[in-house]
Amino acid sequence: MTTFLVSIGIGLSTAAILSLSAVAFTLEYAVSRIANFAHGEFLTIGAYAAYSGQAVFHQNVAAAAVIAAAAGAAAGLVLNFGLIEQFRGRTAITVFIATLGVAIIVENVLDIMYGAANVTYGFGQGKLHHVGPFLWTTSDIEVIISALAVAGLIYLLLQHTRFGKAVRAISQDRALAQVSGIPARRIIMQTWALAGAIAGFAGFVLADTIGTFGPTLGFSFLLLTITATVAGGIGRPYATFGGALIVGLVIQIAGTYTSSAYELVFAFLLLVLLMLFRPNGVFVRSSAVSVRA
Amino acid sequence: MYWVSVVTEAGIFAILALGLDVIWGWSGDFDLAFYGYLALGSYLTFVLTIGKPTSPVEYILGYHLPVVLAIVLAMVVVVGLAAIIGAIALRNLRDIYFAVTTLGAVSALYLIVENYTPLFDGYNGVYGLINPGQTALNLTYNGYRIFFLVVVLVLLFLAYLLVQRLSRSPFGRMLRSVREDERAAAAYGRQVFWAKYRAYLFGAALAGLTGGLFAIFISAFNPSAWTPQELLVIYAAILVGGRGNPRGVILGVFVVYIGFIELTRYLPSPASRPDFSPAMRQILIGLMIILMLRFRPEGLFRERPGLDRGAGSSGQQSPGPAVAVAVASVPAPAAQPAPAADEGGPG
Repeated sequence: MTTFLVSIGIGLSTAAILSLSAVAFTLEYAVSRIANFAHGEFLTIGAYAAYSGQAVFHQNVAAAAVIAAAAGAAAGLVLNFGLIEQFRGRTAITVFIATLGVAIIVENVLDIMYGAANVTYGFGQGKLHHVGPFLWTTSDIEVIISALAVAGLIYLLLQHTRFGKAVRAISQDRALAQVSGIPARRIIMQTWALAGAIAGFAGFVLADTIGTFGPTLGFSFLLLTITATVAGGIGRPYATFGGALIVGLVIQIAGTYTSSAYELVFAFLLLVLLMLFRPNGVFVRSSAVSVRA
Repeated sequence: MYWVSVVTEAGIFAILALGLDVIWGWSGDFDLAFYGYLALGSYLTFVLTIGKPTSPVEYILGYHLPVVLAIVLAMVVVVGLAAIIGAIALRNLRDIYFAVTTLGAVSALYLIVENYTPLFDGYNGVYGLINPGQTALNLTYNGYRIFFLVVVLVLLFLAYLLVQRLSRSPFGRMLRSVREDERAAAAYGRQVFWAKYRAYLFGAALAGLTGGLFAIFISAFNPSAWTPQELLVIYAAILVGGRGNPRGVILGVFVVYIGFIELTRYLPSPASRPDFSPAMRQILIGLMIILMLRFRPEGLFRERPGLDRGAGSSGQQSPGPAVAVAVASVPAPAAQPAPAADEGGPG
């Protein structure tokens, strides 16, 4: 029983990181209607930016987190302006393949800059804490709190600001929003910056939790992110947190009882099953809607 | 001998690209599981021919079958796997959903092969198939390599003839009509799923064959040989050559493989950074994919327009390639903006 509860605790911490990455992915989808295969690279860029920032700020975790988010935001802006907007009007799959090309480029540029070997942060994981039935390190707790904070902020932003209203309008119908006087292009740019910032921060958190990372950090996390997004329902920011929770718990619990080498296998099988039976997310009541993206 | 090896490799990948083009170019499904079929074909060719493993190496089967029989068996198993993945992914899922599902399936497979050593010896992979039949054919090592090149080129030519024939057959035209407008094709009584499914299995069979040839070519196979990057090169080659045009696809593979291998040989490669040149190569491939998609999505060689029912004469000028011959004379349902605009340049 204890093993089970501990694995749930770790699952919650995994879910927290996953929810950050997945909510950014789903925001990108919501405004631009494309699946960004270079999303994982936002995480990698954030992680490496924080790594480089250590040269100046040494062991300052807050500074590292801010640098990661800033780098991610910059990457989001560049990708939207340089690629996504250039491919407007093309089919979703074309943009998808183009972002796949971006992912390969970024991964190998980072490889050339930092080398293919893994690098490590010097931050400690802190002490172990017993919180209720769970066993968490200080950094686990920080991760979970920051994911909850991001979730709260996104809720406030989307529901209670003009920006949020505009994002929701654009995600419904970009052309209609445009003719209603919403500066769609600018709002979309801002959304990509926001999504990039969240993803960059997620990359830092992910790298810090794993302890060591290389240029493929984000790409290998991408499929997990997509699984969580699909579980929630792609393009639905709030449901994404539920999706992340499901995926985080599934891989940790399954990994605990088989072998941690296979935990991702369960995630990918879950992805295939979701696609088969619930392509619009587990929270949508009707599964009769067939998906023609 | 260097050139023999370069051309052999390009020839093998040209067969693979022909198979992938049937799935992506004709049928319109962006398949990310495809390299897994090559991998499975390759692994199976090894374990069916190289005999029992000696400890600590472990893998399944371990037979001593003739290599041709082994490749045929490997193709059968590969088609079986594709039948499962295709049945899941093609039924209702299209575009990104299809791509992600196939990626999920192949990633699960990859992790299992990597971590479960009794299957194909995990990270180490399998090896030991060195010039099968060399003694029977009474050839020197180099003679065998030239013989193998000829075999590959003959197989490529046969695959090309088959694909070219299929391309102009009712089946090829049906696939394209399904690609251009699935609803319209379905409305005209085409079995959309079966059409795509058969194309998928055909492509996978060619991938299985390629896997077998690849096994003979490199005589070793392990998980690092089938990362997602390898597949992207094939997609880049198809994009360069011209999606949907078998001749263009073959040319694209030769241009990309020989062009890239030759170009990257002249890149400066600092001794301290052995990964510099492969990384540069990947960056160039990524750039090539983006630039081709943005500026010349139809590739160097446009897909041949449909040939019959009066569509032939207007074919050269029409903005879209081979716009749905099966429904050519009938206006498509007006509500759908034709996705053809994307393949046909400024449509």
